[in-house]
Amino acid sequence: MKKGNRTWNAIKIPLFAILCSLVAGGVIIAVTGSNPFRAYYALLQGSGLAPKASYANYKNILTDFFSYVNYFTPMIFAALAVAVALRAGLFNIGVSGQMLAAGFTATILVGYSGLGSVLAKPLVLLVGMIAGGAAGALIGFLKFKFNINEVVSSIMLNYIFQYVVSFLINTFYVDPVSRQSAEVSAASRLTLMDTPVGGLKMDIPLGVIFAALAVVLVWFLFEKTRLGYELKAVGCSRSAARYAGIRVGKCMVLSMTISGMLAGLAGVSYYLGYVGSIQPKVLLSTGFDAIAVSLLGNNNPFGIIFSTMLISLIGKGSTYMKSTAGVDSEIASVITGIILLFSACNVYMKWKLERRRQEKLNAKDAQNGQGGV
Amino acid sequence: MADYIVEMKHITKRFPGIVANDDVTIQVRKGEIYALLGENGAGKSTLMSMLFGMYEPDEGEIFIRGEKVRLESPNHATRLNIGMVHQHFKLISNYTIAENIVMGMEPVKKLLGCIPVVDRKKANSDIAALSEKYGLAVNPEDVIANVNVSTQQRVEILKMLYREAEILIFDEPTAVLTPQEIHFLLEIIKGLRDKGKTIILITHKLEEIKQIADRCAILNRGRLIDVMDVASTSTKTMANLMVGREVSFETDKKPAVPGDVVLEVKNLDVYNRQDFQVVKNVSFQVHKGEILAIAGVAGNGQVEIADAITGLIPIRGGSVILNGTDITHMPIRQRTLQGISYIPEDRHNYGLVMDFTLSENLALKDYFREPFCRNGVLDHQTFEENSSRLIEEYDIRSGQGSSTVVRSMSGGNQQKAIIAREVQLDSELMIFVQPTRGLDIGAIENIHKQMIAQRDKGKAILLISLELDEIMNCADTIGVIYNGEIQKIAAADTLTTEQVGEFMMGVRHADKTEHTYVGEGMNAGAADKEGKET
Repeated sequence: MKKGNRTWNAIKIPLFAILCSLVAGGVIIAVTGSNPFRAYYALLQGSGLAPKASYANYKNILTDFFSYVNYFTPMIFAALAVAVALRAGLFNIGVSGQMLAAGFTATILVGYSGLGSVLAKPLVLLVGMIAGGAAGALIGFLKFKFNINEVVSSIMLNYIFQYVVSFLINTFYVDPVSRQSAEVSAASRLTLMDTPVGGLKMDIPLGVIFAALAVVLVWFLFEKTRLGYELKAVGCSRSAARYAGIRVGKCMVLSMTISGMLAGLAGVSYYLGYVGSIQPKVLLSTGFDAIAVSLLGNNNPFGIIFSTMLISLIGKGSTYMKSTAGVDSEIASVITGIILLFSACNVYMKWKLERRRQEKLNAKDAQNGQGGV
Repeated sequence: MADYIVEMKHITKRFPGIVANDDVTIQVRKGEIYALLGENGAGKSTLMSMLFGMYEPDEGEIFIRGEKVRLESPNHATRLNIGMVHQHFKLISNYTIAENIVMGMEPVKKLLGCIPVVDRKKANSDIAALSEKYGLAVNPEDVIANVNVSTQQRVEILKMLYREAEILIFDEPTAVLTPQEIHFLLEIIKGLRDKGKTIILITHKLEEIKQIADRCAILNRGRLIDVMDVASTSTKTMANLMVGREVSFETDKKPAVPGDVVLEVKNLDVYNRQDFQVVKNVSFQVHKGEILAIAGVAGNGQVEIADAITGLIPIRGGSVILNGTDITHMPIRQRTLQGISYIPEDRHNYGLVMDFTLSENLALKDYFREPFCRNGVLDHQTFEENSSRLIEEYDIRSGQGSSTVVRSMSGGNQQKAIIAREVQLDSELMIFVQPTRGLDIGAIENIHKQMIAQRDKGKAILLISLELDEIMNCADTIGVIYNGEIQKIAAADTLTTEQVGEFMMGVRHADKTEHTYVGEGMNAGAADKEGKET
């Protein structure tokens, strides 16, 4: 019962933050002259969580839903990447760069290879993990060996990946029409595009299966394993961890490696899943949004599923909201921003809740006290 | 009624799972030294935190100078001329003394007639004048990081005086000081009283109360036990009331039966982060069934000796041999497994992971091996059993048992948790650094008993302490360190407290001594200062 209580307390605050932001967002939508309920409903419709009035050929609510899942899969990986590093006391702000490095490596090694589907898809995942993990490990190693702040080195690496990759794409792999990298082979894509299923054409994201697996594994790592205990100890207090005989340097490198591997998976599930090519000189915002998503989910793997779904729902549904409810899609970003702002206030809310609980407890104690002790 | 400057009536304050103050009433007269005596967790600090506006009482009223007040914040308390010196100083280490003192109410001058800036010159001269008036010698221009603890405390006192505090609260002021510094501080406090200030002293050291306090309130587990005139009460009575049972001051101890050498330290050289040599050519041996205590003034390299033996800082020269195995360059984990228990000086940063639960902390040295962990997977059942057993056995009190976050526990119980964990490791060598720092008599007695029981079981014990009493009470052999060098090692019964105090001050290097001694009896053992080292 105690444990259930604690879980509820952990969930209560983000839920409250979300509710507040939806109300605040509703006010903003109303001020711009639209109906907030219609706008919110349109978000659900756009993400395949509510039926639209009409559908194009070969499409229905299920196609929309799968497309939504396809959209948020990379975010789950990315938010997990942030959470793993944060738990060990490190701030991986380079998730976007690691995604790009992994996506690019997998694109040229597997995406252009002409390998069959059975071989190519696992290879994409593997290459993504190795490339992302290597980038993460490098940051961890720089921190451990030369005490270079991981924030600085990962931001620098972001730039390096961004420009080196765009140089290579523009020189060797560019598609002259789209000005992006040439599309990867269908066999290597983690999303099965336009697959006919029962009279529908659907994008089936295979990555989400691995994302779910990753959520469970990360949870297991931190709750049940020795390594997780060590990483958390290092995250809470490096000096105490060292005193306990934990090899702090090893833990930092390891946590950044795991974080990088997850970022790598985010990269391949985006660049070789959701889209099939890389736009040069553009660093995705996913890796940065993932920081907020992870925090909104309390850095808890299961919490991250919900925060990802919520934030992605607003992003994904915004196009449909614009076309039906007439609300500018920028408003969607505003709502996202408000949610994150409110959830950043969670320390205050925790304190407030704690105080209220305390007062209740005291009142109870006082009553019991009257009975005589 | 009118002559009470502070009255706290029927104060009750509750925290999760604990009643910190239960219907406590105290009345303090103007111009007296009023001591609050009690064990850790007795509610002394909580009571004073309420007087200083850091918490609000759940029930009860506070009167200052006869007027009922509701103290909302420390700023409010400051406006009512209440000041507090906290146990952990609240100073900015890279600011000068004067800057620290005036912060928040800086003297201002106008640059070019319009731009307001801090008038440093005036700040410095104000502080110099203040320090002279109250006999609190400080140099206003020194940076906090470069001055010793005793000076930092004087800065804290000056901070209160600068804010014209009339009611001065001291929270365990002597916990971090050497015997000589304590003596000096007590003189300062007496001086402040003679200048008309009212002083409330939180402490659990009976001698201090006996020396300077006029009246003393005794708290036990949140309740006020008694208020008494110090002059007409014996320390024995006070101690018994405080602990709630009979206590013995003398540690009951059989003569040591030393066996084989367990730890051998040979020509140890240690450098700190700033590449400054802090331990110089130190050699000693600890035998089975022996307590070797290292005495010394804080910051003379004694903590670094412990850190070097346990592997927290690298050893530059010499060697450390444990049970015949050279562990000089072994990783920390392996040393622990070779048989070292370590109760570190710094509980918060080393001994505990403050944001972990009690059960996680109690497994900090065991979590990686069976039965706590199999094939890399933790067994939470074992964690739970281990912690329930230790909580029971060592009487570790906390709000929510095994799942309490350690940060929310009192200092005494945090220390109990560390000792429980380290003692149950059952290592051949146990290193206790300042094991009773900040603890109360009951807890101290308990820790000393455990230490001696471990010695009697044949463990080798290295005790490093700043408390001379503790060393004289527990040690079989005493080593005195000064400036990184061992001045003297001898059997405890061949040394007097005065002699040890003298070696601590480095009398052999009298010309280099920074501290001026203000106590008496300093010359008693001077004749023995050429004593041979064993």
